[in-house]
Amino acid sequence: MTSYLLNILVFVCINGILAVTLNFILGYAGIFSLAHAAFFGIGAYVAANVGLHVGPSILLAMPAAMIVCALLSVLLALPALRVRGEYFVAASLGLQIIAVSVFAEWHSVTGGLGGLVGIPVPEIFGFRIAGAGPMAVLSLAMLALISGFLAVLTRSSFGRNLMAIRDSESASLAFGKRIAATKVLSVAISAGLAAIAGVLYAFYVRFVNTESFMLDTSILLMAMVIIGGTGSLWGPILGATLITLLPPVLSYVPYLPPQQVGSIQQIIYGMAMILLMVFQPSGLVALFKRKEKSQ
Amino acid sequence: MLILQLLLNGLQTGMLYALTAAGFSLIFGMTRIFHAAHGATFVIAAYAYWHITSLAGLPWWVAALGATMAAVIFGAGLYLTVYRRIQRSEASFFTVFIAAFGAVVVVQNVISMIYGRGFVSSSTPLSRAKELIPGLYVAPLIWVSVAVAAVFFGAMALLLKRTRLGVAMRALADNPELVRVYGLDPGRISLMVFVIGSILVVPAAIIQVIATGANPAVGHHIVMISLAASIVGGIGSLSGAAIAGILIGVAETLALLVVGSQWTEAVSFLILFVFIIVRPAGIFGRAHAH
Repeated sequence: MTSYLLNILVFVCINGILAVTLNFILGYAGIFSLAHAAFFGIGAYVAANVGLHVGPSILLAMPAAMIVCALLSVLLALPALRVRGEYFVAASLGLQIIAVSVFAEWHSVTGGLGGLVGIPVPEIFGFRIAGAGPMAVLSLAMLALISGFLAVLTRSSFGRNLMAIRDSESASLAFGKRIAATKVLSVAISAGLAAIAGVLYAFYVRFVNTESFMLDTSILLMAMVIIGGTGSLWGPILGATLITLLPPVLSYVPYLPPQQVGSIQQIIYGMAMILLMVFQPSGLVALFKRKEKSQ
Repeated sequence: MLILQLLLNGLQTGMLYALTAAGFSLIFGMTRIFHAAHGATFVIAAYAYWHITSLAGLPWWVAALGATMAAVIFGAGLYLTVYRRIQRSEASFFTVFIAAFGAVVVVQNVISMIYGRGFVSSSTPLSRAKELIPGLYVAPLIWVSVAVAAVFFGAMALLLKRTRLGVAMRALADNPELVRVYGLDPGRISLMVFVIGSILVVPAAIIQVIATGANPAVGHHIVMISLAASIVGGIGSLSGAAIAGILIGVAETLALLVVGSQWTEAVSFLILFVFIIVRPAGIFGRAHAH
């Protein structure tokens, strides 16, 4: 039972890292990317390859994955410099689809649809991180570290530049801000940190294939951020926790016909998305804020 | 000969894309609603048609009527119950997108609970391929789809240019406030846009059921291609959606000469990606992307 809960905790943390890093570009820079799962995937594939061919050290895989993701994020930054809003969503969607095709077809690196198996148990300074317990500690630490870093970053002058660009590109240009450089850098930071989630995932599950990095995951991550509340520190983490907990909680609901459980879960999940967007579009965090104000 | 065969196959797929893209582009262009559940309308129409012809054994035109009603009820219903409420709260376009995606998930799973996850198709003599000239196999369905697409696009062009409703719809795209000043109800016009946009997917859905069959997950693919085609063509432009739909359909099949069939979706989105970087307004776009 404990290991079952720890297992869920690991996934909450991994999704939390992804949601927090997505929120960094979505909430603070106004870049609505549907390609976040692609960077999650790239991070995981890099980690798997490092683990399989170089060595099991996380301290080796993590920088490698971060660098690859940050470099490839230029592909996402390119349309972000050209277009905004719906058009950018479409461009990022295109990247996500292309990435999945590459994941599925580049057999020598990704193992194709079958994926990569036999990823070794990871190590930090020779200390083996085996099983749910140590991994939960590591993921929690990474989540805290990344959230802390992004919280500091958004309060710095860089973060204020980012928000200025989000709110009015022409005004920040008039103030002499370097818009292109700021956007490219923020996308690279977001993608590079998302890679960490990929590394943790690859070394924890020790098996990667395309299934986990499809468009559905990108939309799920987007939903986590929006349901929790964009542009806040706790919103994305709250959203990630709720959405990750939903399937395990639903599996305890009695009287569901076993062959339809998957569909019913999905229907409840879809309905929740619709209802939340209709009745609480600014996210759940806004709910707490309103209460604080009224008191 | 292979190229000619692929071109014809591409044309057939392209007609289907053109019709679904036209509906999406119309809705997005006129109301600024990112109708990601357009694919769900497609799936509902396809299954309604299949249910009425294959399960109930009724003639095709009854089924077409039933599919149209189902599509309109879903499309317009979603606008009234979900989109309109979200728009009232001044939320961002993304809130609409997430809600629409929720609707896609619900529809896909409800349909797979009722009919299963497999493909359904109702084949007719139309979908049987004949050898047109030696080595070139063509199902008569392709001529039907070209004719149907031509009729629907002609009717749409007339509607937009010649009728009061069409003028009001174009006015809504340009300036919703001005529409209100002239005493028209933007909500009502938007509702009509949803009705018409939903009707446009019906012929495409029927052709899909007859030609290759449909499954509950096909909506995903449809809405992504529609999105790509409407941006490549220029948002809100009918002729743009038609040309881009055919372009993507043909490009997808011609790509088979070079790469495997797993890459078809990537090819469409590569076209989209290049367009967004080089010419974001699309082929016929007047609207600014910024």
